[in-house]
Amino acid sequence: MRRGIVVLMVVVGFVLQATAFFFLAAPLGTPTAVRFSEPRLPFAPLLFIVGIMLVFSAALVYELLPDRGADEG
Amino acid sequence: MTRYGMVVDLDRCMGCRACMEACKVENATPESSFFMYVFRFEHGEYPASRVSFLPRPCMHCDNAPCVKVCPVGARYKREDGIVATDWDRCIGCRYCEVACPYGVNSFNWKDPDEAQYLDWVGAAVTTEDGSTPPYRNPALDEEYGPEHRKIAGGGHVQGVMEKCTFCVHRVEDGLDPACAQTCPVRALMFGDLDDPDSVPSKALRERESFTLLEAAGTEPRVHYVGGSPPSEDARQVDAPEVRV
Amino acid sequence: MVTRNVTLPQQAGRSPSGWYATIAVLVALIALGIYAYSRELSEGMAVTGMRNIGPMGGATWGLYITFVVYFVGLSFAGISTAAVIRLARIDRLRPISRMAELLTVITLALAGLAILADLGQPLRGIVNLFRYARPQSPFFGTFTLVISGYLFASLVYLYLDGRRDAWLSEQTAERHLGFYRLWAAGYRDTPAERERHDRATFWLAIAIVPLLVTAHSTLGFVFGLQVGRPGWFSALQAPAFVILAGVSGLGMLAIIAAAVRRWLHREEELTVAIFRWLSTALTILLLTYLYLVVVELLTNLYTGSSRERDVMSELLFGEYAWIYWGAVGTFVIALVLLLVRAALPSLRSAVWPVVAVGGLVNLGAIGKRYLIVVPSQTKGTLLPYDEGSYTPAWTEFALIIGLIALGVLAYLLFTRYFPIVELPRPATSEEKEAR
Repeated sequence: MRRGIVVLMVVVGFVLQATAFFFLAAPLGTPTAVRFSEPRLPFAPLLFIVGIMLVFSAALVYELLPDRGADEG
Repeated sequence: MTRYGMVVDLDRCMGCRACMEACKVENATPESSFFMYVFRFEHGEYPASRVSFLPRPCMHCDNAPCVKVCPVGARYKREDGIVATDWDRCIGCRYCEVACPYGVNSFNWKDPDEAQYLDWVGAAVTTEDGSTPPYRNPALDEEYGPEHRKIAGGGHVQGVMEKCTFCVHRVEDGLDPACAQTCPVRALMFGDLDDPDSVPSKALRERESFTLLEAAGTEPRVHYVGGSPPSEDARQVDAPEVRV
Repeated sequence: MVTRNVTLPQQAGRSPSGWYATIAVLVALIALGIYAYSRELSEGMAVTGMRNIGPMGGATWGLYITFVVYFVGLSFAGISTAAVIRLARIDRLRPISRMAELLTVITLALAGLAILADLGQPLRGIVNLFRYARPQSPFFGTFTLVISGYLFASLVYLYLDGRRDAWLSEQTAERHLGFYRLWAAGYRDTPAERERHDRATFWLAIAIVPLLVTAHSTLGFVFGLQVGRPGWFSALQAPAFVILAGVSGLGMLAIIAAAVRRWLHREEELTVAIFRWLSTALTILLLTYLYLVVVELLTNLYTGSSRERDVMSELLFGEYAWIYWGAVGTFVIALVLLLVRAALPSLRSAVWPVVAVGGLVNLGAIGKRYLIVVPSQTKGTLLPYDEGSYTPAWTEFALIIGLIALGVLAYLLFTRYFPIVELPRPATSEEKEAR
């Protein structure tokens, strides 16, 4: 259960980063028009950072989340 | 597709710098900014020395390094070719300034109202309508373009960047930039480089031209006809006093 | 002698001599920095020595950006040391792990503050960066990966790595129990918990290493991709940034470790072996960095464009020569000191040479960072403007000194209330029985 959450957080985090970087923030390429300087979604960089934080928060969850299971000593 | 550019005729330019003055008045730039800048060069050693002049506006490059590095998209390239600076979005990081190979950018080092040649606030002389000289064109504070961004003129806010705008506030009304309008010898030809009948296009077709720093790969839209690029031994004389 | 197994660096209620005086000095320096910044906010950045490039003949990036790069460089070695210790399982280096993590966290925060100090519109900067930041700009990497991502990752690492010591402190301290309990967050020191902690921090370390290499490379790209600045446009910028970051960071770590060893009496845990490891790592990195310096020198002198050669000759023989040769000199002296230390048996167990090296390479790194930032602006215009000049104003010095004082204060406060050296594991019940 905990492991599932952790893996999910890591995957969602990376997907969020990739999506925000390539599809939601300003497009890459030689700037020839206004759109190269505008994010496709406002606050896309914030989403990118949230993605990074999700990935690293997975470690926090892994260590801190009590697992309803057998591995308590 | 309109793609604005400029052709500078170096055979005509006589270094009078009327364009620099007109630009400054039109755009209300503080003491530290010269959007249009005219080099006066001396080459060679006396008695075999000679003088040349080189007007240098912003190049409005097609592969502009300043646009690429702007972290927040305040510096952007319009479809009509003008490279604009949104003074409402600019965070003053000055990355565009260090990235520009031509040195066309200026930063507002202090409150622009206190950085003018004359005391802007509380001047002793007022006009009939109550405005306080020097006169500042209110059109500079408006939004321009289909993108509705604040990109005209200079001297707006402390802590933001500015540079030559090809007088976008005039161009959108079908006028020429102030420098081209004012030049007494018509050395500055502004127009649509994609239109084969425009004055600059014809000049480019009929004469050999060069651009500055071609090797840098910036693809500038300001071309020079007549004259030649600054030589290795060119050095400035009569440099204008630029101060904060 | 009080058993030191589970005691804090400072017993509650007792401050070391000179503590309050030190704090007072640091606070005064910070106040001066704040005052300098307030002048900058109200009068504009005209109060600094920075001016426009080109017609104005100045440098528009100066001391602030120099120290942004320097602080980010220091942060590199911090967490990478902690990661290496964890991944390569070099257990004998664990005593410096937390010092390294703390160094990273604090210097990254300082770097962020230094960037803010350099912005003409700092409040806009905070909002607009989150809202509009463009991936194409190298600053995107600096803002998201370095300041936001890397700082967060290091905080998580510092937090998780400190839970056990928080739990131990909670049991033996007399004050601040709530703080320790909060940090420990239910830690119970069972074998299962320890194993989970090991695994979590192991994977965290693996995740952090590529992040920090990318982050430092994008900082190098901020400079290295600029075709318009002779002296900057070079493929070597990114790797040189990373290597010099390692050099200065490890050097600072050596200084901190020696200080903790001396003033907190940690000779037992902070063994000479640790300093020997630091000096080996420093030697390798210094050799690599000097190699890069030579490569850059030869390339620019042999066949660079005339502008590149102009900038290089200013560095070697002109206005900046004293900084260039000073910096290179510190690196060479540091390298010689390290090699001599390795060769002479009498010095091999001495700590002071490594501390001296740490001081030297940090001075050199500051100088080198300054040389990366400034000369290409004042002497490196591609169009024939007049030569420029830049001298930092008192506000810039005051602000930087204030930032450094802030970093030192934060470090000292942490050391006062939390074990800076990992507490040894108290004997488990099985081990006690075995005795």
